Amino acid sequence: MVTVVIMPKQGQSVESCIVSEFKKKKGDKVSKGDILFAYETDKASFEEESQVEGTVLDVFYSDGDEIPVLTNVMVIGNEGESTAEFNPNGGGVHVSEPEPVQPVKEEIAEVKTEDIKSAPQVQTLGEKSIGVSPRARALADKEAVSLSDVQGTGPKGRIIERDVKAVVQSRPKMTPLAKEVAKETGSTPQTGTGLAGKITGADVVSKNPVYSGDFEIKPLTNMRKLIAKAMHASLQNSAQLTHHLSADARRMLELRKKVKAAMDKGVGANITLNDMVCFAVIKALKKFPQVNAQLLGDSMKYFNKVHLALAVDTDRGLMVPVVKNADDLSIQGLSNQFKEIANACKKGSIDPDLLAADAASFTVSNLGNYGVEIFTPVINLPQVAILGVNTIVPRPKDLGDGVYGFVPHIGLSLTYDHRALDGGEATRFVKQVAIEIENLEFEV
Amino acid sequence: MPKSQYIDPDKMRQAGEIKFTPIPVNQYKKSVKDELKDKNFTKEDLKRIYHDMVVIREFETMLNLVKTTGGYKGVEYNNPGPAHLSAGQEAAAVGMAYNLTIDDFIFGSHRSHGEILAKGLRAIELLSDEKLSEIMNGFWDGATVKVVEAGFKGSVKDLAKRFLVYGAMAEVFARVTGFNKGLGGSMHAFFTPFGIYPNNAIVGGSGDIAVGAALYKKVNRKPGIVVANIGDASMACGPVWEGLVFAAMDQFKTLWEGDMKGGLPIIINIMNNQYGMGGQTCGETMGYGQAARIGAGVNPEQMHAERVDGYNPLAVIDAYKRKMKVLEEKNGPVLLDVLTYRYSGHSPSDASSYRTKEEVEAWEAHDCIKGFAKQLIDGKVATQKELDEISNQVGDLIFDIFKLAIDEEKSPRMDLKKEPGLIGTMMFSNESVDSLSDAKPDVNHPMEENFRVQQIAKKERFAFDKDGKPFSKMKQYQLRDGLFEAIIDRFYKDASLVAYGEENRDWGGAFAVYRGLTEALPYHRLFNSPISEASIVGTAIGYAMCGGRVISEIMYCDFIGRCGDEIFNQMPKWQAMSGNVIKMPVVVRVSVGSKYGAQHSQDWTSLVAHIPGLKVVFPVTPYDAKGLMNSALQGTDPVIFFESQRIYDIGEQFHEGGVPEGYYEIPMGEPDIKRKGDDVTILTIGSTLYPALQAADILQEKYGMSAEVIDARSLVPFNYEKVLESVKKTGRILLASDANSRGSFLNEMARNITELAFDYLDAPAVVVGSRNWITPCYELEDAFFPQPDWFLDAIHEKIVPLNGHVPSRNFTDAEQLRRAKEGI
Repeated sequence: MVTVVIMPKQGQSVESCIVSEFKKKKGDKVSKGDILFAYETDKASFEEESQVEGTVLDVFYSDGDEIPVLTNVMVIGNEGESTAEFNPNGGGVHVSEPEPVQPVKEEIAEVKTEDIKSAPQVQTLGEKSIGVSPRARALADKEAVSLSDVQGTGPKGRIIERDVKAVVQSRPKMTPLAKEVAKETGSTPQTGTGLAGKITGADVVSKNPVYSGDFEIKPLTNMRKLIAKAMHASLQNSAQLTHHLSADARRMLELRKKVKAAMDKGVGANITLNDMVCFAVIKALKKFPQVNAQLLGDSMKYFNKVHLALAVDTDRGLMVPVVKNADDLSIQGLSNQFKEIANACKKGSIDPDLLAADAASFTVSNLGNYGVEIFTPVINLPQVAILGVNTIVPRPKDLGDGVYGFVPHIGLSLTYDHRALDGGEATRFVKQVAIEIENLEFEV
Repeated sequence: MPKSQYIDPDKMRQAGEIKFTPIPVNQYKKSVKDELKDKNFTKEDLKRIYHDMVVIREFETMLNLVKTTGGYKGVEYNNPGPAHLSAGQEAAAVGMAYNLTIDDFIFGSHRSHGEILAKGLRAIELLSDEKLSEIMNGFWDGATVKVVEAGFKGSVKDLAKRFLVYGAMAEVFARVTGFNKGLGGSMHAFFTPFGIYPNNAIVGGSGDIAVGAALYKKVNRKPGIVVANIGDASMACGPVWEGLVFAAMDQFKTLWEGDMKGGLPIIINIMNNQYGMGGQTCGETMGYGQAARIGAGVNPEQMHAERVDGYNPLAVIDAYKRKMKVLEEKNGPVLLDVLTYRYSGHSPSDASSYRTKEEVEAWEAHDCIKGFAKQLIDGKVATQKELDEISNQVGDLIFDIFKLAIDEEKSPRMDLKKEPGLIGTMMFSNESVDSLSDAKPDVNHPMEENFRVQQIAKKERFAFDKDGKPFSKMKQYQLRDGLFEAIIDRFYKDASLVAYGEENRDWGGAFAVYRGLTEALPYHRLFNSPISEASIVGTAIGYAMCGGRVISEIMYCDFIGRCGDEIFNQMPKWQAMSGNVIKMPVVVRVSVGSKYGAQHSQDWTSLVAHIPGLKVVFPVTPYDAKGLMNSALQGTDPVIFFESQRIYDIGEQFHEGGVPEGYYEIPMGEPDIKRKGDDVTILTIGSTLYPALQAADILQEKYGMSAEVIDARSLVPFNYEKVLESVKKTGRILLASDANSRGSFLNEMARNITELAFDYLDAPAVVVGSRNWITPCYELEDAFFPQPDWFLDAIHEKIVPLNGHVPSRNFTDAEQLRRAKEGI
């Protein structure tokens, strides 16, 4: 077996190198590690070592020649072996005429893979035709066939459609995902683990035996794609920042206690802390119409009513349904509505119109249940702000006369779009929410 | 070659001599006083002649000042376009126009502003106010008259004068309100409602076109005569000579029958200003001495030629009176040599370095306007004051119109930013008209009595019987029959249709397409022309301009060269150059030969397809030939109709049910799939379809490849959709025709297909044409024209290697490069 020594590629931009000296000439015996030739680029000098043992059968260039990188330079092997076909300069051997493939009946179903494979090799080792027909390229792209694996049988070794079809025919079928992944990674699948040897996405991803299989790639659900798009767009397209502030939660906790007591007696509705915060928010919004609004490019849309959206965590992902005309509701009414829409979301029966970002005038996202102390919610554009509600933590408070005590506080994180609101307005609004929370009143 | 005229050797071989009669030169001797005494003119007539000359002088003076000083009367204006001025030639123009009505048509040259104005002023004088208003308001929906009407309070005739001067001037300045929407310009302006037909920027261009107009008047029994105003230097142009010969054909007087007997009503009016560009036609570049001499060489009547003093309007008027009588008596054609002189150069850009100042001054001393003014004063027709008054009025008129014509708002140019495709909409008229005449067609017998019609009725309209066996050639309905059916049908539908060319009559056309038409049609609808392609096509252009339909036949495609100007410069341009006023319903039949060597076997479709304004078709089956000929004859656009001599006798092999007996049209521009296939598309132009089908058979049988074979049928227009659809399916296309491959229209098609279906292509679009050589003799033709095995070779080498195929021709890259390098 012969080994072809090529001119190595030294760096991305190097197109060719000059051989300063051939250390071995035709007929010389070489051992592994022997220097075969010295060469240089315009920046540095290098030496090429032999990787094999054998006899130098042929040297295609002379000292001082400029040789394009990746071009065959010499051939090492056993005496008597043929080398002419490796000669990059032709060497008198007819290499350019492709031999035709066997059957030319153009029905792909009848193209026998074996025939294509058995077609005489057109290119010399290490050389690849650069010719690919646009049609073949389009098909290769569609079928995730790596063109470097395709043997061209067209004129002058051009890769034509039938060559790509032959590859598609010869390999196991691929799932659409496998094709997608293969396109991304550029790697060509060999065998498949799916049904009937079908290549799945996982087959395509990694060829490394150590790390393969420790993950699974799944396509995004449509829901996920939508969330991803909306969230990314929000951060891309607005000027968001968050103010944090906390409210004395004693009044709220007191009311909650009353609610629970009443419920134990079997009366009253289950008004949650979240209901109370939202109720307070609605009241504050009525006083700050510029927050109960949407920013529409060059204009602002101010709402007469409050359409309050609530972020709901579901198995399918985040959903933000809206309660229309929330300012018309009592706190019991609001509470009922929240339960209804949250359930609808979880069941997947929610009216899609209620999920539209432009259906709401303001959004509340409550992570208090989960113990989150502070976060920066992402605005549901085109709304101008979103209120993040945090968990209740005890904070030291001046109780008067130099006496300090720990008082439960609920954290409020208002993210707003600075294009629409200024810091002062935003602060006054979130402060108003705190005031409403601290002074909450309703009949249990 | 009618049998009715016996050529008697005894008579022909007799000794004798040709006698000429003397040719009058400047024989007019009368003065204004004489003419008044003879009551040939009123004083008003004479003053009007003076007025009209002054209008022309001022118009040309204005243009000269604009060109040479950048303004007129203190108003700056730059006119980059041409201005070939005729100051000095006013008497010739006004004299020419004096006796003409709007039924008389004039054609002109690049130097015809004066003729437009003279003829227009004469028309205004003759027309009623009512008729004038109708013409002005009907023209471009009144867009032109509106500009000169605003604020004008004078008479309708004075308004018409403003309209005329403005229409011409705005056209010179390329304004959309000009007579031809600014698309004609100085050298091509005209206005048909006043009988002013196209002026022509090609020297002598009107020399044959005007003869066609006279033919139209004669054949369609229209009143009036035709005047071809051409320059003295144009007498050296072949097409002018061809026009003279055509106009003087004996057959008008010997063979044409009934009211058609007699000469053409045309005056070849040589506006002899004695210079052709910088060359003196008398003494330097020509040998005729005086142009009137030429008439003596044309026919025994010597074309009634004479030289007239064009510096005296009355001399020209007198000549016209006499010559129009000659035409009335059907003794045309007439040749007049009207002597005149131009003061400016060929154009304002020439320094007149070819003549002396003394010469120009001497002619200025003879100035036709000054000379006539003196006569008017001497004859007590007008006082100097009155004449000055006329000059002042005219000066004001021209200045006023000048200001209007250069006003960007009132006289805008065509807005090609707002309507970028506007000129494109004018290249073709695309109308569909059964008949261009209201008259009953002159025919010799009912169509069903025609022997050819009866013969065809017995033929098989599909090439194969129900078992797929071909009928004998004699029994098959042939391609020439398809052409015949379409043509005879139109002859019986459209009285304006005429057909002529070499051997069109008794012989039945060199390829027997017209066999039977001689019996069906009188001479004036089908006749033999001189062997003179420029006049065959040139007269057809004039005929069509006037509103008639023509089939002109020039036999071999190779003879397109003999009518190059007519086909490349005239026929394709006039529809758009007229702003779509003129239609060009001419079908030029050309036949691609074979067997006859280098000058009789060329496919020149590419040459004509290159020229904007021509439709080009090349049907190669009887069904397509009849359908496309019907479309060509139904339309109003010039069509170069290619036929192939290889296949006049071919039967219909494709259209199921054979060629329909009734009338049907195949729209121009639609290619036709002659065979369905999946693996490679072959698109052919012309009779190459048949070798392509043979190649498709071999591909199928030997290589299992199915070829889709598409016949382009048309080159211009061409709808690519069907071809692209096919290429998207097969991914491969080979284009072939008998045209030389270099510069072949196939390359244009290949480029379009490559651009429009690039991502679907599995190989470059490959063109197979004839070699870039002379066509060799018949026995060697298979080395020259694409043969079935060439298709396989090209596919094998450039598209997809065919297993085991051994190429017989060299289609390698190296050979392609070598041939290009050597220019072969």
